[in-house]
Amino acid sequence: MAQPNQTANSAFFVLIAVLVFMSVGPVLLMFVNSFKLDVDIISGTSGLLFLPTIQNYETALCDILWYEPEHIDFCSLKFGGAFINSLIIALISTALTLVIGCMAAYALVRFRFMGRDTVSLTTLMVRMVPPAVLLVPVFGLWNNEFCLDRDGLIGGAIRDVFGGRGDVCLAGTHTGIILIYVAMNLPFVIWILQSFIVQVPPSLEEAARVDGAGPFQVFFKVVLPLIKPGLAAAAIFTFRIAWNEYLLASALSDRNTKTVPILIVNNMSEFNVEWGVIMATGMLLAIPPIIFTLLASRQIITGMTAGAVKG
Amino acid sequence: MPTIHLDSLVKRYGEVEVLHGIDLEMADNEFTVLVGPSGCGKSTTLRMVAGLEDVSDGEIYVDGNPVSHLEPKERDLAMVFQDYALYPHMNVAQNISFALRLARRPKAEIDAKVKEVAAMVGLTEFLHRKPGALSGGQRQRVAMARALAKDSGIFLFDEPLSNLDAKLRGQMRAELALMSQQVEKNMIYVTHDQIEAMTLADRIVVMHGGYIQQQGTPEELFKRPANKFVAGFLGMPPMNFLNGEIEDRDGRIFILGEGFAIEIEGEKAEAARKHNHKLITLGIRPSDLRFDPEAPADRSLSLDVMVSEYIGAQSVLICQCGSEKVTVELNSETPVALGTALKFAVNPNGVHLFDRKSESAL
Repeated sequence: MAQPNQTANSAFFVLIAVLVFMSVGPVLLMFVNSFKLDVDIISGTSGLLFLPTIQNYETALCDILWYEPEHIDFCSLKFGGAFINSLIIALISTALTLVIGCMAAYALVRFRFMGRDTVSLTTLMVRMVPPAVLLVPVFGLWNNEFCLDRDGLIGGAIRDVFGGRGDVCLAGTHTGIILIYVAMNLPFVIWILQSFIVQVPPSLEEAARVDGAGPFQVFFKVVLPLIKPGLAAAAIFTFRIAWNEYLLASALSDRNTKTVPILIVNNMSEFNVEWGVIMATGMLLAIPPIIFTLLASRQIITGMTAGAVKG
Repeated sequence: MPTIHLDSLVKRYGEVEVLHGIDLEMADNEFTVLVGPSGCGKSTTLRMVAGLEDVSDGEIYVDGNPVSHLEPKERDLAMVFQDYALYPHMNVAQNISFALRLARRPKAEIDAKVKEVAAMVGLTEFLHRKPGALSGGQRQRVAMARALAKDSGIFLFDEPLSNLDAKLRGQMRAELALMSQQVEKNMIYVTHDQIEAMTLADRIVVMHGGYIQQQGTPEELFKRPANKFVAGFLGMPPMNFLNGEIEDRDGRIFILGEGFAIEIEGEKAEAARKHNHKLITLGIRPSDLRFDPEAPADRSLSLDVMVSEYIGAQSVLICQCGSEKVTVELNSETPVALGTALKFAVNPNGVHLFDRKSESAL
């Protein structure tokens, strides 16, 4: 079909070009700058004429490289460790959020119980509170409550194995950060998945029950495969948030559990901002979410429930 | 095969009672059809038997054992749903074998069963397709095959043909009838379509407003409806109803109404004579009215033709008798002019009398 408006309206294309430039531009700038020396970056000749170097990447990855780069005397950046911390925290919190979220969403959609609507609404209200507001009480709780006495049985055992001083608290542990990320992401995941579960025809579940499935089999064998697209969307969302989160992680992590975003900021000091290294770390930081999104988005197929029931 | 007995089954949704004590006995290897207009409680009854709805009061017995507290999977039954309810993420073979796989039967047995059932319903070539790639009729067959594979004694159908187009519905109806002869199962079939009920049933249970109106063989219900509702519900085109009064003229019983006076004889006359109230409703099926210009006045209706619907060999005429409409069937070859009065002889055995107030048959 002919669409005369599209060819005629060049302003439309200009708008699109601007939008594309706005989204791709910074990434491109980051990519180019990550191969420049700081001198080149700051010199202001922001042209494309420069001698590319992988020095920045060497600096960023110094603790996991198999050779010692010439230009570094001391490897202060622990990118490898932070990267693993980020992976552990993002993956585990995503998995936990999905497991809890899909079950909670299912219960909210299918079961009738007292206070159902209230619960459904309050989950979203938690989401409306800015994370910064949560930070102060959580920081206090993680540092002073829920602690195991270092003289106690389990606390003592942990101190013996991992070392350190003081009582064993959630602050500064992976668990502490994972818990707060799960709490932060759950409301949204529950809301996404609710809308997917509503679309699963109830007669499918009834058919499964007649076929001999118990409540858990109905959930895992019939409902869960059908809401895979929703799970994938929720997973992408949760992983991205957990991977990029800065504010809570900066307060709740310690030297051994800090994540990559925190590490990047460590490259700024009052004397020197190592732009090249920051750009290189930023590029490396961007890779896992891209891979994760590509893998997860394969699961997003529309029309999952096609053919289930006669519409 | 297990026998099913429903003992004063009651269903309430909050304060509203939708089923008012259903008593039903289903014999061994019987095809029972629950039929009625939408909202009559037929689907609810079926879902209670399946265990998908709670029983508010009363009890369901299978082989004499109460089952209303059991989960669906503990009741040994298979069900075909109105919307098919196929698992869209599984292919046809997986759909059919789902119940068997849940029961952890040996793989060889499952494969054999899937092949056998698929051959039975003609799905052998489609075993690896997903439901989304099947036509309506094929999906219907998958639903049927899935229920057949379960090998349970009780087979429940919840309006399985209502989503198919008219031609396919007729075809599937015939296949169902054939299948019900081949497999020995207790079947309960819910439909709002009286033709399905008449053609498939060993026994029809007509429901209306949460009550059983009448149950019996299709022939019994057709020939001796217990009340005006059953009479009007079964049969196509539906029965004509005319208001009238009983009059005893020297021992001969007449039904007098607007524009007609028909004499009745035999049992019906006897029943009419004994009846206390004079006001009755006269019911005559279109098939019991025969075009006959020579018919005597006390054995016939004189009808003014209003509309003629040509449907092939037969035409359906909608006529006026006094202030009421009467439907009759007529050979299409008979020349009819709209607005003319035609005489139709009444088959004396096809006369039904209902009390006008209680609507039950005399």
